[in-house]
Amino acid sequence: MTMPFIHRVQPKTAAAPEPTAGGSGPLVDPPPASGARLVAHGLTKSFSGATVLDAVSVSFEPGEIHTLLGENGAGKSTLFKILSGLYPADAGWLELVGDRLPELTPRLALERGIYLVPQEPTLMAHLSAAENLYTGVLPRRRISALVDWGRIRKDAASSLERVGLDIDPETPARDLSIAQQQLLECARALVHHCRVILFDEPTSPLTAHETEILFGLMRALQAEGLCLGFISHRLDEVIEISDRISVLRDGRHVASFDRGTVARDDLVTAMVGREIGVRTRTRRTSDLASRQEVLRVEGLSLAPVFTDISFHLLSHEVVGMAGLVGSGRTEIAETLFGLRSADRGSVRIGERTLGHRSPRTCIDAGLIYLPEDRGRHGIFAEVDLTRNVTAGIVPRLPRRWGLLNKSEEERGASTAVARTSVKTASLGAAINTLSGGNQQRAMFSRWLMAEPQVAILDEPTRGVDIGAKDDIYDIISDLAASGMACLIISSDLEELALTCDRVLVVYEGRIVGEVGGAEITTARLGELVVGAGVR
Amino acid sequence: MTVALPLRRRERGGASMRRAVLGRWLRLREVQLVLAMAAVVIASAILHPDFLAPGNISFMLADSAVTAILATGQTLVILGKGIDLSVAPILGICAVEVGFPAQNHNLNLALALMLVMGIGIMLGIGNGLLVSWARIPPIITTLATLSVYGGLQFILANGQEVVNIPNAYDTLGNADLLSGVPWVLVIAVGIAVAVALFLRQTNLGRSIYAVGNNADAAHRSGIAVRRIIFTTYVLSGLLAGIAGLIYLCHTGSADSTTGTDSNVELTSIAATLIGGTTLTGGRGGVIGSVLGAIFLSVALTAMVFARIPAIWEPAGVGALILLAMVTDRHSGTLASRARRRGGEVAR
Amino acid sequence: MIDLKLPRPAAPAATVARRADTRRRDRNWVLALVLLLVLEVLYFSVTVSGFFGNGSGLLALSEQFLDVGAIALGEAVVILAGEIDLSAGTLSSLSGIVMAVLWQQQHVEIWVAVVIALVLSGVIGAFNGLVITFFKVDSLLVTLATQFILGAVATALSGSSPPYGFPGSFVSIAGTGTIGPIPNQLVVFAVLAIGVAVAVSRTRMGRSLALIGYNRPAGRYSGIRIERTVLGAFVFSALMAGVSGILVSGLYNAARDDIGNSLLLPAITVVVLGGVDIFGGRGRISGVIVATFVLGFLTQGLLVAGDSSLSATMVTGILLIVCLVLKIGLDRRAGLDVRAMLRQRIARTSGPRRAGEAS
Repeated sequence: MTMPFIHRVQPKTAAAPEPTAGGSGPLVDPPPASGARLVAHGLTKSFSGATVLDAVSVSFEPGEIHTLLGENGAGKSTLFKILSGLYPADAGWLELVGDRLPELTPRLALERGIYLVPQEPTLMAHLSAAENLYTGVLPRRRISALVDWGRIRKDAASSLERVGLDIDPETPARDLSIAQQQLLECARALVHHCRVILFDEPTSPLTAHETEILFGLMRALQAEGLCLGFISHRLDEVIEISDRISVLRDGRHVASFDRGTVARDDLVTAMVGREIGVRTRTRRTSDLASRQEVLRVEGLSLAPVFTDISFHLLSHEVVGMAGLVGSGRTEIAETLFGLRSADRGSVRIGERTLGHRSPRTCIDAGLIYLPEDRGRHGIFAEVDLTRNVTAGIVPRLPRRWGLLNKSEEERGASTAVARTSVKTASLGAAINTLSGGNQQRAMFSRWLMAEPQVAILDEPTRGVDIGAKDDIYDIISDLAASGMACLIISSDLEELALTCDRVLVVYEGRIVGEVGGAEITTARLGELVVGAGVR
Repeated sequence: MTVALPLRRRERGGASMRRAVLGRWLRLREVQLVLAMAAVVIASAILHPDFLAPGNISFMLADSAVTAILATGQTLVILGKGIDLSVAPILGICAVEVGFPAQNHNLNLALALMLVMGIGIMLGIGNGLLVSWARIPPIITTLATLSVYGGLQFILANGQEVVNIPNAYDTLGNADLLSGVPWVLVIAVGIAVAVALFLRQTNLGRSIYAVGNNADAAHRSGIAVRRIIFTTYVLSGLLAGIAGLIYLCHTGSADSTTGTDSNVELTSIAATLIGGTTLTGGRGGVIGSVLGAIFLSVALTAMVFARIPAIWEPAGVGALILLAMVTDRHSGTLASRARRRGGEVAR
Repeated sequence: MIDLKLPRPAAPAATVARRADTRRRDRNWVLALVLLLVLEVLYFSVTVSGFFGNGSGLLALSEQFLDVGAIALGEAVVILAGEIDLSAGTLSSLSGIVMAVLWQQQHVEIWVAVVIALVLSGVIGAFNGLVITFFKVDSLLVTLATQFILGAVATALSGSSPPYGFPGSFVSIAGTGTIGPIPNQLVVFAVLAIGVAVAVSRTRMGRSLALIGYNRPAGRYSGIRIERTVLGAFVFSALMAGVSGILVSGLYNAARDDIGNSLLLPAITVVVLGGVDIFGGRGRISGVIVATFVLGFLTQGLLVAGDSSLSATMVTGILLIVCLVLKIGLDRRAGLDVRAMLRQRIARTSGPRRAGEAS
């Protein structure tokens, strides 16, 4: 019997799993460890006529971190899904260690040692961490063929330790943080002795610190000779971690770069297919005279998430809110918007003090909130653009003889859509047919229709292409120029530095600092968000 | 190469640890049910000592057996995020299909068992195919098959009624193993224990939980999601078939509306929900469902002892469902509040 | 003013065309139902004597299933909002019994009794809605429980001999009376049906209803008052069930505590057959109205031809299955990726039923 892979790479692990000869299921037998090179030849995939991947060939070499880069819809995730058996390819084939692979299913992919760590961890919420590791291929006892829970517990503990996850293996997955879930996904790959691990945007829900932990793990796996695939939109981290970068555009493989041979701008140009100038700050504090206070928050608290939040916004002002994921930023916004009830504190919008708030009363008072998770909390996916855009003002929809006046409604919607330049064939098109950037613009249109004074924008450029990001910034500048106050919540410090007049920093549920003007630099914000300077 | 992580295992002191263990126990639906049952039994016994007569206990427990077996199958389906409304006519068809041969030709009991299992599996396959291959939502599928199988039962019964069953059947249905412990309950509990072991100790059983928790994740883990869902319906059909035989043995009768007329599908769902299995899938278990079935029977008998007319029985079932729901919700709220900080599994 | 323009390619034309299809597919579904209805009526008229009856026989037959239609209208509204109401059937019984008992035992004027029964139905609907929104629990569960409770109350109230023999004015108006060849019940149903269809497609409430059916959390984040809308849907469904109970009492000239629950399954069948997505959001009331007649005439045709009521029910079930297999097949053929669809369905089964995450 070959040495289990896990032994080879980490001989010192005392609790490493003992190979059991019988009844242990095919997946627990380690595949041969050497030279696991995964090559994709001419993969093509189309969904209902639209070609998503067009004859893409890439290879994943042992001991290498290979990053796929591209705008949304370029086909990166689709490629990973084909490699891990989630989608069948229309054409093309895969080669692993020189063998041509049959058409993959997720199960077959796992058996061959290919594992995809998905964008959002998909775990079984009510099952223990240990069981989540082995789902589908629980190790069995030799004679009775019953599930060997003792072994699962023991092996799980060592695998969790290997990825640096210090939790009780019996903890239900629902009690883990996103970062812990992500690491649990990595541990799954190790449990199955995978040789090719593909990470689909693993860092997007992670904080900088957690990202470092994940990168530490990836480098360790790399040192053990695994093939690692990686997808991320954060160019800096891509350049930091990748040995090789392949750029996809519109389903085609357009460029490849090796470590050290590439600069940020080259990547952007390759992704977008044209030059994008370095953006400079377009907004600066100006015309102070015309400003008035439009939002005042005083002593807002919600135990245990945040305490004593006080700040104010002026008209024409773009204010950032920086903080790690989990620092309470989104919860503060949701509380302001009446989605959660605060323990205490007061909120004044314009002239009105709103005691008990609901999203409706906030919208009517002139406060709107663009949620972070557009897919779940923003769009009505299968619904046409018109109804999506007017969803925020249903109680104000125009009527004639007591019934909805649809032509009037469409006129209003088309004006709002034009203001944010949503590109669409018609207002009747379902919103999920639009690109991420256009969907986000439609969300802006929805809130323009409510004619707000204050806009809270939570991660306004999440899931938006690089090319479309600038447009979103322009829209925000435009809103501020028209007198609106914008509060931008973002993990992207650069984004805050670019767009904001003032930035509030949230750390562990408190506002720990405020920087303004020239002080807003990514470096300064970076210090503050991790709590530097907190007494 | 262990990397330090910000979130560490929580350390707890001895006293609070003990309180936590106790709290976790009390949050288990099985424990809650046993306590509630004890309370009902003690209260009834104080007010009406007859309540504890072996005959009554045997009656109550025997009465719950059919519901318990149906609820066991129902639990499997609900764990996989489905629902099976068609168990009533499956039970009815099986009762009718063995009832007539038994009455007229003294059909051997073992053969009868094979027959009901076969019929149950066939009808379960029908449901399974529609849900997993035709992808019709479970509640609609089984609503439709409830009608279709109900019509089939009507046609098969052909207006006749089973009134007389052989002694072997009657003994199985109404004799006690020990005083106060009827055979039918022993069978129901035996089935439930076997299914519980299956759920806990086999890959297939765990896969049902996995699919119910997150079908997407299960698919990624190489589980054949549709096959698992299919299996739950087949098993539910099989168990409904066995329940049909037990029903026939216990009551000695069967006709064209057996099962559907007493809404056993709803009672089985009620027992399952009272037993702590949640409709969202992936959480719960069969032992709770069996306890739920017994609790239903005990509570309804207690109602009879308290001189509440029998027509109020359904109201009692309804009230128990509401109670089970609200209590579960309560613990759920507390738990989610406690973990709001840590973030939740993406759903 | 900052220039907002930056050239971006529009979404691929093919995808737009495909998705814009959804509405056309819904319309085609309704048209297919109409065609089915015509064929069915023709078939029975030719093969079953006494079915057509010079047209007036046909119209009179409709009285036999308009109670189902009334429940279906209410159920459709609840299902559009992404919920389900299993208590509508027994509530229909209860409403009829309450009316009859008030009239017979309390000697309340019959029309006052009708109003009281409807108000009580509304209150029960509000109870359902409040429990569902306040405790954030599955409507399937709550209404399953209230179904049991209401059934018991109805049986208890009706006693051993249910009231019968209502005043002629009531029986004529709510029951078997006609205007020319048109049964009064059909007129009542037509008014209700048109009202519901307009309310769903052309009022702010109807808009809120569909939006939260499509995506409940997004509705909350858009400022739609979820609780109020859901509550309204359940009150409405209960009112419709109440109306149905009155119609049943008028038709049989007796209160029936046993008939209500047998109306629930056909009503849900009608809603689904009418093209309403069982997970909420998508669907048209016009489809539900046509489906009421498709199913109703089918059942009545079989009954007139001499089939038993249970085999008619069986045909109902088969029809439901065949239609859904067809519909799901068509939707899939129309270009949705199979796995994406499966995922979407999984997400939606768990989605709409769960209470909003932030509260």
